[in-house]
Amino acid sequence: MNWDQLQLKPRIISAIQRAHLKSVREVLVLSEPDLQKMTGLSGPDVQELLHAAATACRTHQPITALQLQRGECRRLESGLRLGTGCPVLDQLLRGGLPVGGVTELAGESGAGKTQLGLQLCLSVQYPVEHGGLSAGALYVCTEDPFPIRRLQQLISEQTSLRSDVPPSLIGRLRFSDNIYVEHAADLDSLQVCLSRRAALLLAQGRVRLVVVDSVAALFRCEFRPDDWLERNKQLLTVSSMVHHLSHEFTAPVLCINQVTDVFHQSESSSSSPSSSVSPALGLAWANQVTVRLMMRRLQATVSRGDQSSALRRLEVVFAPHLARGGRDLAVWREGLRGVLDPVLAPFGPDVAQQEMVLPLRLNR
Amino acid sequence: MKRPVSSLSLGSSLKGKLVRAGFQFTTDLQDLNPEHLSAEAGVSQQEALEALQAASSGHGVAPVTALELLQKEEEFRSIVTFCSQLDEALGGGVPVGKVTEICGAPGVGKTQLCLQLAVDVQVPAVFGGLGGQVLFVDTEGGFQVQRLVDLAGAAVRHCSLLAEDEEQRVAMTTFTVETILSNVFLVRCRDYVELLAELHLLADFLSNRPRLRLLVIDSVAFPFLRLHDDLSQRTRLLQGLGLRLIAAATSHNIAVVTTNHMTTRLHGSQAQLAPALGDVWGHAPSIRLLLRWEESRRLASIVKSPGHMDASVQYQITYQGFRDADQSERPPSKRPRSQTDQSASSRKNTGT
Repeated sequence: MNWDQLQLKPRIISAIQRAHLKSVREVLVLSEPDLQKMTGLSGPDVQELLHAAATACRTHQPITALQLQRGECRRLESGLRLGTGCPVLDQLLRGGLPVGGVTELAGESGAGKTQLGLQLCLSVQYPVEHGGLSAGALYVCTEDPFPIRRLQQLISEQTSLRSDVPPSLIGRLRFSDNIYVEHAADLDSLQVCLSRRAALLLAQGRVRLVVVDSVAALFRCEFRPDDWLERNKQLLTVSSMVHHLSHEFTAPVLCINQVTDVFHQSESSSSSPSSSVSPALGLAWANQVTVRLMMRRLQATVSRGDQSSALRRLEVVFAPHLARGGRDLAVWREGLRGVLDPVLAPFGPDVAQQEMVLPLRLNR
Repeated sequence: MKRPVSSLSLGSSLKGKLVRAGFQFTTDLQDLNPEHLSAEAGVSQQEALEALQAASSGHGVAPVTALELLQKEEEFRSIVTFCSQLDEALGGGVPVGKVTEICGAPGVGKTQLCLQLAVDVQVPAVFGGLGGQVLFVDTEGGFQVQRLVDLAGAAVRHCSLLAEDEEQRVAMTTFTVETILSNVFLVRCRDYVELLAELHLLADFLSNRPRLRLLVIDSVAFPFLRLHDDLSQRTRLLQGLGLRLIAAATSHNIAVVTTNHMTTRLHGSQAQLAPALGDVWGHAPSIRLLLRWEESRRLASIVKSPGHMDASVQYQITYQGFRDADQSERPPSKRPRSQTDQSASSRKNTGT
């Protein structure tokens, strides 16, 4: 650290150098009496030093929410959203995933979590006016191999999913070239992947979405139940990495999570215990998540032409800007689509008609 | 009362020189000029001036009577939460001049209450509000402008329904969503060092903005829980942070609102939810609000406060914001906010 950059008197700077203080961060975590003792400076001098160090540490002045809303601050684009490619889900999510923050998607196996992850890897590549971020995606697999065939199918069906986008634009996007796939078989390789590969790709602007599928797998197999303290430490390390990536590069991060059964010692033992699942990894992880979504597989099925799909439900469990609520959806050949009232109107192949009744996307 | 020179906040070498030269107590330094002192104690003029200033400032803290404190407290009103039951339990709302902590599990509404307070602190004085500004320190990335716009719009509509006389209608012209947003200052801190730096600069920031009445830190737990390698360091920093917040609240007459996570604490074989960051941090806030789920109801409890009874009230979070649980049965226009405020303050007056 070059102390001369700070606006300080020469004798303060020489006292800091004598005390072998190396950075402003080191100064800021020391208390005033400690600093006085270490540097031999007087109280007012130490105050001045702390003030200068704090000014140097603060990279940005406070900005008003109005400036933020008007987009005058490129660093904190809090209004920007990554659309999912489906107007029904975008309406539920008020436009899509927030670009600054960690979104968790939890659900049982087969609920459709990976499907949404893949769909976001494609929608992120569209320009901003079509709900994307004009960049690629990094997909980190920890459990299953990357579903490359399904991705190819989704890419070939993009024109039918995104009828709102001109086909010529879709034709120009080279989807599979912009999806970077990483396999992380253990926690160490996940941390290396996030801290090196992800940071590099994001910094280069090639990528503006990180999907981790899934966080639970590694933590659930590497730790025994009595190792919870160590597990929590590792969880915090991983979560601080993804938060850092998200805020540093204003990129959304989607963490896919498994669920765990919850057994209640309930008074009403008659109620079916099967329905209560909650996201895995407990409170320590839940505290780290900005938006929590859950996907459930329902009993009903819907069909459209020659395709049929189990009905799913995407629910907002919590989010700072979303109300609790959910939408039913189905997985088709071209991807996930919201289903509006499947009982009353099991919609046929006439997709155009269905999209007429859909509400317009918010904020765009 | 004699104060030893060694207790002054001066450099240790300077204090040593003064004591060796026979200046044991601050009274010994009275009526001296810097030139005289520097000759007597063999210190530089600059140091002598510093020592004299430090010695005289020690006398500056005048005792305050309880009556003066009470008057000061009543002069600065509380920030209403827009949940009348919670306001009632808190005696009018979140108090100015104190540190209030909101604890709760994820998703129970901590950030929502913070955003609601950020809007409510700006309610014009003619409506019984403070007409203040707010500094929002976001450490988690939970601050969404979109949501603030929802709450601001609802507050503006609510007040415009209440506007009856000319004065209130005039006040409404400057109470719009746009002005509300322009009075919310946002800082994002990525780690605890940035948070500490921000608090070092708080006094400067406040001196330029005398209308600032609320400091929100959402949350303290998030950056500090990362510091799990060195627990003694964490405890020390948290203690310093707590003192700094209390000092900021009392000296600048602002309400300080922090949020905290919940963590599992083991009592024998039973696991219980408890606020995170441990017992040392628990001393920092004067009021601790616990938000929790009970079945599908949301409850807010006052778990620590020197001036309030332990109480639990039900609340809900609607599109409009943080509200009474039974509000859906009563439209907001039928529930004049200013009246509940007056009754709260009059109750306080009769109580004293």
